Amino acid sequence: MAQGTTVPKLNFEYWLDKAIEWGQATTLESQKDVCLHLPQLQEFLHQIYETLKHMDSIVAIQQFPLIGQLLGRLCWNPFVIGYDESQKTLMWCLCCLYSSEPQNPVELKANSWIRSLLCHLLSSSKWESNEAESSTFISTLGYTSADYYCHLVKNMVFPLVTELRGNQFNGLNIQGRVSASRVNAVSLFCVPLITLPDLTPLLETLLLYHGGASKEILSSEFLEAVNEAFLKKKISLPESAVFSLWLRHLPSLEKAALYLLDQLVTTQFNSLEEVACVIKDSLLPQAASHPAIFRIVNEIFKNALLETDGTPEVMTIIQVFTQLFLQAHQNENKRKFPLKAYFPYHHQPLLTALLRRPFELPTTHWFQHLKHISAMLKALVEDTNISSLADLFEIWFLVARFGEWLDIAAEQLLKAAVEPDALLWLLAFYYCPQNENQQRTQTMVEAQAVYNHLMMLFSCTVLSVKDLEAAVHSIMDIEQRCNQHLITHLLTNFLLFSSGGHMIAQKFIYHITRTTDRSKEVCSLLIRTAYRIKHNGEENQRTLKLLNELLQKLTSKV
Amino acid sequence: MEAVLEQVEQLPALLAVSRSALVRDWDALTLDRALEWGRYFQHLHDRFRTRPRLREALGRRLRRGQPSPLLGFPQLGRCPQLLGLALLENRALPPAACRRLIHSLLQPAGEEAGPEPCSLALLARRKAASRLLALPGGPPRAPEEMGPQPRTEAQLLLSRLREEVREAEPAGEAAGRLRWLSGVLEELPQPRAFEVVAAALLLLLLRPGSDAEQAGDGGRDGKSLDGNQASETGDEGVAGLLLSWLLGNLERFSAFCLFLPGSLLASLAGHYSQFSRPYLDLLTGWGSHLLYDPLQGRWVKSCLDKAELSWEELRERFTCLCQGSALLKGQTQAALKLLKARDGDFTVCGLSVWTDLLMEVEEYLRKEAKRQ
Repeated sequence: MAQGTTVPKLNFEYWLDKAIEWGQATTLESQKDVCLHLPQLQEFLHQIYETLKHMDSIVAIQQFPLIGQLLGRLCWNPFVIGYDESQKTLMWCLCCLYSSEPQNPVELKANSWIRSLLCHLLSSSKWESNEAESSTFISTLGYTSADYYCHLVKNMVFPLVTELRGNQFNGLNIQGRVSASRVNAVSLFCVPLITLPDLTPLLETLLLYHGGASKEILSSEFLEAVNEAFLKKKISLPESAVFSLWLRHLPSLEKAALYLLDQLVTTQFNSLEEVACVIKDSLLPQAASHPAIFRIVNEIFKNALLETDGTPEVMTIIQVFTQLFLQAHQNENKRKFPLKAYFPYHHQPLLTALLRRPFELPTTHWFQHLKHISAMLKALVEDTNISSLADLFEIWFLVARFGEWLDIAAEQLLKAAVEPDALLWLLAFYYCPQNENQQRTQTMVEAQAVYNHLMMLFSCTVLSVKDLEAAVHSIMDIEQRCNQHLITHLLTNFLLFSSGGHMIAQKFIYHITRTTDRSKEVCSLLIRTAYRIKHNGEENQRTLKLLNELLQKLTSKV
Repeated sequence: MEAVLEQVEQLPALLAVSRSALVRDWDALTLDRALEWGRYFQHLHDRFRTRPRLREALGRRLRRGQPSPLLGFPQLGRCPQLLGLALLENRALPPAACRRLIHSLLQPAGEEAGPEPCSLALLARRKAASRLLALPGGPPRAPEEMGPQPRTEAQLLLSRLREEVREAEPAGEAAGRLRWLSGVLEELPQPRAFEVVAAALLLLLLRPGSDAEQAGDGGRDGKSLDGNQASETGDEGVAGLLLSWLLGNLERFSAFCLFLPGSLLASLAGHYSQFSRPYLDLLTGWGSHLLYDPLQGRWVKSCLDKAELSWEELRERFTCLCQGSALLKGQTQAALKLLKARDGDFTVCGLSVWTDLLMEVEEYLRKEAKRQ
């Protein structure tokens, strides 16, 4: 009866061949090869187990006549047994093959063989002579192999750690130097054991090991595997070890950054605190204190932004990351690079202005500060020296990552009675940086119109949806996308910060989300505003309350 | 409480049965029951380990059921593994029960298959790790350092001895304990037993209770309350026991001192006064058996009996002793001087082995001092 086995016969032969090739993994090539294949092998073993567990042992042997060979060989490969959960799956497979009612000598023999294999894996086996000596001793003392191996591993890790660390303090002492091939071998042998907690001190020592050679001496399989385990939170390492890993192995750093982005983009977040938490846990903002790491993460973020056409989620992530990076940099008390070192190609006064955190200034000074930023930016951008699109993008990216100030600009426009031009220009630039065809100028004009309209309604205490509908139509009608963003931003802020707007905020926002495709943007804006208000010490309980209500309803719908 | 004590008294019997051919008649149900007993005992251990009086009571009852003190209170904590592994290795266990056993070992009942890995999977993993980490090519080990296997065995031995010294009734038990220790050490081939005892004595010199803390009860995560109670007097008792074993038999003691390197023995002599005296006496005895061969111009063994040291080895031993603590160095040099005087106080080579030894040792030490 042909049940569709989930384990294609082809795979089986492949792995059996591999197992034969590897033997007990005594040569360097076989060791490297095993390390490369460990995750897939584990997956394959899991599939086999899933198939076997529904079968009788006799049927199993009929289906997979060579399974004994495969499992037997794998049991003798310490790389396989040491890896993650492979040993568990292997033992389960053996359990499935064990017959509880053997009918003939063949089955009896199979049972006996399985028994021996399990003893080999778990206690003393007749095949390993050096174990026989200690096993009776241990059991006379009243202990088991579980106790013995628990301590033995620790006693083996410790001298390795000492051997590697010794080199650090010896400095130029050639006598104590550990050879590069030795370190490489140690790192390779650790690959299957990375998630074994006993090994953490050795992992740390390896990652922090610097032998003075210019080439990387740790095996790349090791570095990749450690990174993988760290990203999936299967191990925890001290920060210094993680930073060292990323500094010495570029692919790991890239993977970590992409993994973070992926995590954040695919999860629905209800508050920016959650996003900040995830980013902080990834250790990337802290690692970015190393300018090399900062540069690379920066590039990755830039690419992500470009590839997703500047979606607000990615922009928000970058903005939160930047804030956390600045925080971490401030808390760093070892040797610090000045902040300018991280942004070397930028206009220094503009950079300095953007680097001021809002809470460092009293709220009454915010308008002046923003005016200053706007003026500098305008001068920079309208200077004919800005030749290429790339340069313009760099300037825009710099401003965009300090999105806090932009949000505050929009808020100031609608809260305080201020001269709007500088701030409007700033927002127009953010949403529409290019001006070859006068797009930005056009945006500016339309924004002014909307702003004036909103200012007229600002003092009204009672508003109806109709009053704002004109503004809504302008969102829907205008073809230029950048205007749509800007106007949504202004509108939302109006609803949050004007007394009349408060009343109809809920209704109006639902209206927007239903009739336009702006809901994600609005959501993002609300989340950012909530976070900003809480962390910048603005006194605004009413708005905060409104925000929370809006977000609750919105996030359950979206 | 009496009921509990009676049950506990059955544990040695249960273990003995699980190692014997009597399991031939077991079926899956019997096996389940046996494993349940194991879990029950572990549960008792966890409940009572912080209650010293109850611990003592249980420990005493356990010992009553055994001819030699194989099991103590801490062993209750590792009952499931003791039983499980004993049964796994017992070939007399019939297939149906065995299948049930393997199943339960891999999926312990009452534990969710959650984040805590199956402890036996962890064991298999650690075993593989020990093979992987034994990669060759490391730096040569200094002779005073022990290899990881003897060190591990020493840690477990120490942990057990500490329990014995603490929990067994102290009065009148010393001889029994010594006999037990002898029996245990006989399980190892003699050279290995020597390494283990030496390692144990050296481990006792570290912060008391540090290493053996991890070898304490409940091999689950190495934390134990036993370790915290390892007292000074307890450790002295343990050291005393080990030394009694070592010094109790002259042949064994000479074999010990022949087998182990000089630096290690010097370390022991430096810290254990009960050791340094007999050791010096032994060296003296060997030294006095050397004869001077004028043709070769050096000291040789009187009979080519392997169970003695050669001149070079003897010199090395004395040198190591003089590189120890100031006290030991002083003692050794004083002893050598005394022997030289008794022998006739010669200053010329070739007449008294002690003169020559003293000369060469002092020469060596001078050179060393100049080098540093």
